[in-house]
Amino acid sequence: MLVLGSILVMFAGCGGGRLLGAKALLQQAKSLQSEAAEGALLAQDTAAGRTTIIYTREQSSVLAKAASLIELSLSRATTVPAIEPDLRRLAELAGRVRADLGRIGNASADEERALARDLQAAAQASQKIGQAFG
Amino acid sequence: MNLKKVLAIALGIFSAIGGFVDIGDLVFNTQAGATFRFQLLWVVVIGVLGIIVYSEMCGRVSAVAKRPVFDLVRERTGFGAGLATLVASEVVNLMTCAAEIGGVAICLQLLSGLPYRLLIPVGVLVLVVSAWVLPFRWIERAFGYLGLCLLVFAVAAIKLHPAWSQVARGFVPGSHTGGSLLVYLYFVVGLLGAAMTPYEVYFYSSGAVEDGWGLKDLGLNKVTAIIGYALGGFLSFALMIVAGMLFLPRSISPQFLGTPALGPEHVFGRVGLLLALVGIIFAVGGAAIETSFAGAYNLAQFFGWRWGKKERPAAASRFTLSWLAIFALALLVVMTGYDPVRLTEYSVIFSVVALPLTYLPILLVANDYTYMGAHVNGKLANFLGVFYFVVILVIAVAAIPLMLITHGGQG
Repeated sequence: MLVLGSILVMFAGCGGGRLLGAKALLQQAKSLQSEAAEGALLAQDTAAGRTTIIYTREQSSVLAKAASLIELSLSRATTVPAIEPDLRRLAELAGRVRADLGRIGNASADEERALARDLQAAAQASQKIGQAFG
Repeated sequence: MNLKKVLAIALGIFSAIGGFVDIGDLVFNTQAGATFRFQLLWVVVIGVLGIIVYSEMCGRVSAVAKRPVFDLVRERTGFGAGLATLVASEVVNLMTCAAEIGGVAICLQLLSGLPYRLLIPVGVLVLVVSAWVLPFRWIERAFGYLGLCLLVFAVAAIKLHPAWSQVARGFVPGSHTGGSLLVYLYFVVGLLGAAMTPYEVYFYSSGAVEDGWGLKDLGLNKVTAIIGYALGGFLSFALMIVAGMLFLPRSISPQFLGTPALGPEHVFGRVGLLLALVGIIFAVGGAAIETSFAGAYNLAQFFGWRWGKKERPAAASRFTLSWLAIFALALLVVMTGYDPVRLTEYSVIFSVVALPLTYLPILLVANDYTYMGAHVNGKLANFLGVFYFVVILVIAVAAIPLMLITHGGQG
């Protein structure tokens, strides 16, 4: 019964309210940082010809979708006034990461390298914003 | 020992290595490495030793008593406790099978670019046809051998030049850095659960009966369990080391099934990527068949139906319908679009809760002279069996609270 109850709780626990606390925002910042960093690695390897076109497109599309969910969640969220500007900056950054991830796999080698740099910078920026929540 | 016997043992060991890693190992070892680098390698050793201890017991029980584990569970524990074990194991089997099918479909998508929802039924169809057509021994071997492509992770781990002194320190439990204590404990529980999943022992013991093991196979049982699982454990080390070297320094938290393949891809390029994806497909696909069969074995053995892959499907119709039904239900679960990584995390954690129900009857039966005669557990097997049972009890109590408190290891 405990197992079944917990399964129901976990499956029903998806979604969430619009008011996000610092801890939830820190989690979003960490997820965005991870997605941007993975995108940077993928773009770098794509530019170096290490990966297949299909893998690059599919994996970057999964990452872009995840970034877009973060963007959507952050753009609809509110938080306490003290960290509201950081929330907006993070939402904007999520939009940039989503757009960059969407371009991986459809760009020239030089553009892939530029995307890798952009995404690496976005990962660092996300970490920095996250520190405001931590 | 003649050459034929040596070859049979070698083939069994190879398939055990290739078949060791399933989606739970893939997810938990990669996430643990990306969060705590090498600091949790010791948990893999404990988990692998645990599955060796209990698989050896199961194989011995099957070889001596000529009866698989679940048959004896009901007889030894009675209808009520047996039914509770059956329900818990079937829920976990179904969740695991669904997660494995999701994993197969995702890797097929990463190879082909075709839509995920189209590849789910295609993957299930291929697995069902394979399970229907191939003889029992070849299901294990075909998927196990092709799962050996995962050895690319082991070579990638070496090529990433980890500091071997740090790797060695990871085999000693101690203080940790990189995450909170609760997250660390969550991964301890998850890694043990991934290494000691119940379906493995159900499948192993029923497989021993299917293969007609007898007293002469007790040596084969010991060698296969010890060497096969121990070498399989090296794949878990490799997954953790690759994640610790490549993902942790970049703050990548692997949340998607395609992410682990980035390791071999980064080191070896396209060949590494293809080997990793093919290895995952066969390791995880083989595990999907094993979970569906384990579920059908449990049902058939509990209710006393005729069972076995070697039986004609019409002769063991309820057994055949059971594994087909588990595949069908798992297909429905995956088609809802629920994330296979999350499903894997839940299936591993819930399997931990069911572990005592699985392992206690094995320990009891392996100690029972009525069934085992002169082949009852020796002192070492009993010491390890009891030690692991205590470990299992502790992690079974801690599993769900840790999952809820840490939000599935997210902190």
